[in-house]
Amino acid sequence: MTSFVLRRLLLFVPTLWVIATLTFFLVRLAPGGPFNAERDIPKAAREQLMRQYGLDRPLGEQYVTFLAHAVKLDFGPSYKFPTRQVREIIAEGFRVSAELGGWALLVAVLLGVPIGVIAALRQNSALDAAAMAAALAGVSVPNFVLGPLLVLVFSLTLYWLPPALWQGPESRVLPVLTLATAYVAYVARLTRAGMLEVLRQDFIRTARAKGLPERRVVFQHALKLGVLPVVSYLGPAAAGLIMGSLVVEQIFAVPGLGRYLVNGAFNRDYTLVMGVVLFYAGFLMALNLLVDLAYAWLDPRVELR
Amino acid sequence: MLRCRCVLLVAAALLATGCAPRGDAVRAAADEPLYFGDVTPPGANVLRFNNGAEPETIDPGLATGQPDGRLVRTLFEGLTVPDPKTLEPLPGQAYRWERSADGLTYTFHLRPGLRWSDGTPLTARDFAWSWLRVLRPETGAKYGGLLHAVVGAEALNRGELKDETKVGLVAPDESTLVVRLARPTPYFLHLTSLPPCLPAPRHVVERWRERWTRPELIVSNGPFVLERWRQNDRFDLVRNRRYWDAGHVRLDRVVAYSIEDLNTATNLYKAGALDWNTSGYVPSPYIPYLRSYADFRSGPYQAVYFYSINVTRPPLGDVWVRRALNYALDRDAIARDLLKGTREPWGNLTPRGYPSYPRPPGLAHDPEKARACLARAGYPGGKGFRKIAILFNTSEDHRRIAEAIQAMWTKALGIPVELQNMEWGSYMQASTALQYDVARRSWIGDYLDPSTFLEIMRSGDGNNRAGWSDPRYDRLLRDAAVELDAAKRMKRLAEAESLLLADGPVIPIYHYSTAELVKPYVHGIYQNALDTHPIKDIWIDRSWRRGALRRTADDPGRAASR
Repeated sequence: MTSFVLRRLLLFVPTLWVIATLTFFLVRLAPGGPFNAERDIPKAAREQLMRQYGLDRPLGEQYVTFLAHAVKLDFGPSYKFPTRQVREIIAEGFRVSAELGGWALLVAVLLGVPIGVIAALRQNSALDAAAMAAALAGVSVPNFVLGPLLVLVFSLTLYWLPPALWQGPESRVLPVLTLATAYVAYVARLTRAGMLEVLRQDFIRTARAKGLPERRVVFQHALKLGVLPVVSYLGPAAAGLIMGSLVVEQIFAVPGLGRYLVNGAFNRDYTLVMGVVLFYAGFLMALNLLVDLAYAWLDPRVELR
Repeated sequence: MLRCRCVLLVAAALLATGCAPRGDAVRAAADEPLYFGDVTPPGANVLRFNNGAEPETIDPGLATGQPDGRLVRTLFEGLTVPDPKTLEPLPGQAYRWERSADGLTYTFHLRPGLRWSDGTPLTARDFAWSWLRVLRPETGAKYGGLLHAVVGAEALNRGELKDETKVGLVAPDESTLVVRLARPTPYFLHLTSLPPCLPAPRHVVERWRERWTRPELIVSNGPFVLERWRQNDRFDLVRNRRYWDAGHVRLDRVVAYSIEDLNTATNLYKAGALDWNTSGYVPSPYIPYLRSYADFRSGPYQAVYFYSINVTRPPLGDVWVRRALNYALDRDAIARDLLKGTREPWGNLTPRGYPSYPRPPGLAHDPEKARACLARAGYPGGKGFRKIAILFNTSEDHRRIAEAIQAMWTKALGIPVELQNMEWGSYMQASTALQYDVARRSWIGDYLDPSTFLEIMRSGDGNNRAGWSDPRYDRLLRDAAVELDAAKRMKRLAEAESLLLADGPVIPIYHYSTAELVKPYVHGIYQNALDTHPIKDIWIDRSWRRGALRRTADDPGRAASR
């Protein structure tokens, strides 16, 4: 177990190095640079900025300097926001993205699992059909459609909830719902499928035959196995929710990290792009490792090697 | 079970209201004007507005963008401040000034007892130091060009002059600043309220370096000080009690949100979470619809949308080809049909708003003349003309305009035209490196004078980007710069513009307009050509129809009956 974790952690290093190297050269292949602006910058100022950020050095040297600093998690200041360190931008943005994603994950599980269980128990009933139709709709409606729709209804028609901004608990509702809906739907479908499979098995029939109350059959015997597909889905779901909230952050003016990845690339903000890409890569790898560990813990048949 | 039902209810509600008309207007009585959304004033004496994209910096010496400038000019105050209506310079940190007869020397007298927000005395030397800081190449300031009228400033800014005492900035005593100009610059006083001319606190900047603008460190001299900042979210400003005119600052607090998305900003305004949605953040498709609301404001903005022709690429080097492209363009159709009248068709490079400027007649649509010009260039009916591309950066509006122009040129001139879309960075690179045929561009003026537009087409100017050069044009601009007689100066500038339009390296298309939403209880915001609104002059009338409009719970009649 320990050696498995250690080996995986060691594998992080070459993976991150490859990602860092590819990103470093790819962003520099893009035409233009960080100091191209609609209003031309005086030549002397431009040269000074290039010197200040070491962009006047040969590319190979810049690469080595970058790696030396990246090892210490120091990506330098952002070019677009010169008074801020990339590290600070990531730390502050990620806190918000993680909160948004965390709530959405919670909602996805807390709503998705019960819906799936109910649909499975009442298989082929009207309730099942309705729940699965809603789930299909939830999976199909993209969040850039759902978000504005929710705003239209709850903020601009009913005036119940603020249409955007990240301040106070009521402001969390709409972005979390928008982000979570597709995941609620997916979790519901997974739960339903898992539960249906389990409910057909012999040990469930046995449990019922020996007269166990239905409640115990479902919650103690069936659910435990029925949600396993959901558990294995939680890893990718967490990654998707925490890192893929760009659109939701934009619609609801949530000050998360998502937009920096896109805007950083548009602005040729080399340091910011490098920092955010490496952070996301490391985060995703750590999450995958956690999922693998969780598998082993939940299912003794899985052996970590 | 309950949860499940809730979800279904939500789904049903969505389906039911998904196609409801946008925007329920608020109107208290039939004869009252219509307002867009909630008009309940905020509970405290606070102004909440959308400042737009996240500011890059709030260091006055480094700020360039409009969101940056709006905050910087609220936190810091220059020698002068703009009049909120006319933009004329009014006394700011300087209470009076003298101009020498030759227009080359300005002597500013600072108010007595000025202090920074930390209590440190503010003197004329702070101004001299701040201006020199902007000019020093080591600072890396992008806007130093605005100070180039000062003696020696340009050389210092280019790194050619090392001795800073040779720059025409002297503070003979604590409260006097003498500025010597290299050329009479009639708009110089206007510059003194712009970000690069605002003072930066030397004692703080030198101590904390690039970190000095953080909320816990920043020291400023304007009507407000920075209390809190959250990245990509908001800036909270509160009154500066050490400000010389603190008694006349009417707001207790200012919240400037950094909302980039136009729809989001407008939704927040409608819901009553914003008191002011600044110009540029109202989605253009909404504008025709918003015109019927009393809180929507629009007017000319000092900016022009134009196409730039790369004259270094044949056959665009031929003036007759450029004229043909110019005459074949129907600006009215673009402004009226495509942009639904939200923009004014415009045939000049300089915008409106300079009363003493004899603006030459703008270019007009004339397909006959266009064909004649093209024939004269040797391409009758477009025969033998190579395919040219229109370059634009990614945006739905830019694309629609480019498509319309493509059709106009193909139809009127019979020449093959293609579209070339690039994302911002690539577009900037291509247009700067002259790797294009025709490129979309726009220019926003810095101060109220035609030179802020005409200067960009000077030979070799970094903003020229057309490869165009004409010694006669450069000479006219040079003559205008040293001309003392205001009328004669304007005449020179107008001659330069005529020459530019006749030679056609630029194809003006439309004149920008401001479009903003201001709640009826917000006072002190006046539409003007620079879209500049000093926040010191803004106030909120909280007794404006107190709360009785939307929320029935606030209805006194109903409360009494309970």
